[in-house]
Amino acid sequence: MNFTRSLLVLTEDADQSILSVAVQFCKNSGSRLFVLFVIEPDRISRLASLTHQKVKVLHKKTEEDGWKLLYLIEDEAVENGVWTSLHLEQGNLLQMTKHYVDAYEIDVLLIKKKEGSKRIFVSCSVPVIGL
Amino acid sequence: MQLKISEYLRPEAIIMEIKAKDKIAAINELVDHMVRNKLVSNGEEFVKALAKRENLESTGIGDGIAIPHARTNAVEDLILAFARSPKGIDFSSIDGKPSHIIFLIASPEGKKSEYIMALAKLSRFLRKHAVRELLRNAKDPVDVMDIVKKNEE
Repeated sequence: MNFTRSLLVLTEDADQSILSVAVQFCKNSGSRLFVLFVIEPDRISRLASLTHQKVKVLHKKTEEDGWKLLYLIEDEAVENGVWTSLHLEQGNLLQMTKHYVDAYEIDVLLIKKKEGSKRIFVSCSVPVIGL
Repeated sequence: MQLKISEYLRPEAIIMEIKAKDKIAAINELVDHMVRNKLVSNGEEFVKALAKRENLESTGIGDGIAIPHARTNAVEDLILAFARSPKGIDFSSIDGKPSHIIFLIASPEGKKSEYIMALAKLSRFLRKHAVRELLRNAKDPVDVMDIVKKNEE
């Protein structure tokens, strides 16, 4: 199976180890790498109330961490000669992922395996690889 | 580590009205300006590093903003430059719109974490509509410096 446009979806709990795997996957398959970091406002609100932190403070931290992850993966991609496109959005993870799959004609989705990502595995229109 | 982007931007690294009409010409014009002001020693290597990125990604992040960037030993420290294009330049932005505000970032190879942090801070800073409007209407380099200083967190 040939993949030409991969989408890596990241959220605030993404760890850096999956970044290298995604870059290597794209390098080996000759795929372009679209990276989407999604800020989930509901999740931030829940976390804020659980940890007694201000939503604004948590949001700022999440956004800054998101950009850091995006630029980290881009730096590694450039070193490996992999074409990248970075995106940071706010909203529902599943809806945002589906929107990007359609808008950018993605043919494979890369995502961290976790409890909340099950809904993406079952409802996405393209193959999903859990990292 | 708390990093302030205003600490890395200097008035002599600011072009209020860039003449270039395409992204590579814009990068060349900005780098030439920096070389003339002795902010960069090896302009040729610097342009090469920036062009390599432009070939592998879009540094146009949308909303009229482009952030060309590179890690290269052509610079001795983390450095920022600013340019404004009234007509806009095609940086292959993700939203397809021309870029009117261009921030260039470079750092030496060995300063990766500082470089990533500066990129993250700048990207977040420029997502604010009010900041973009202020920068688009800035009168001179001192005004640009002032806007960055007053609006960064």
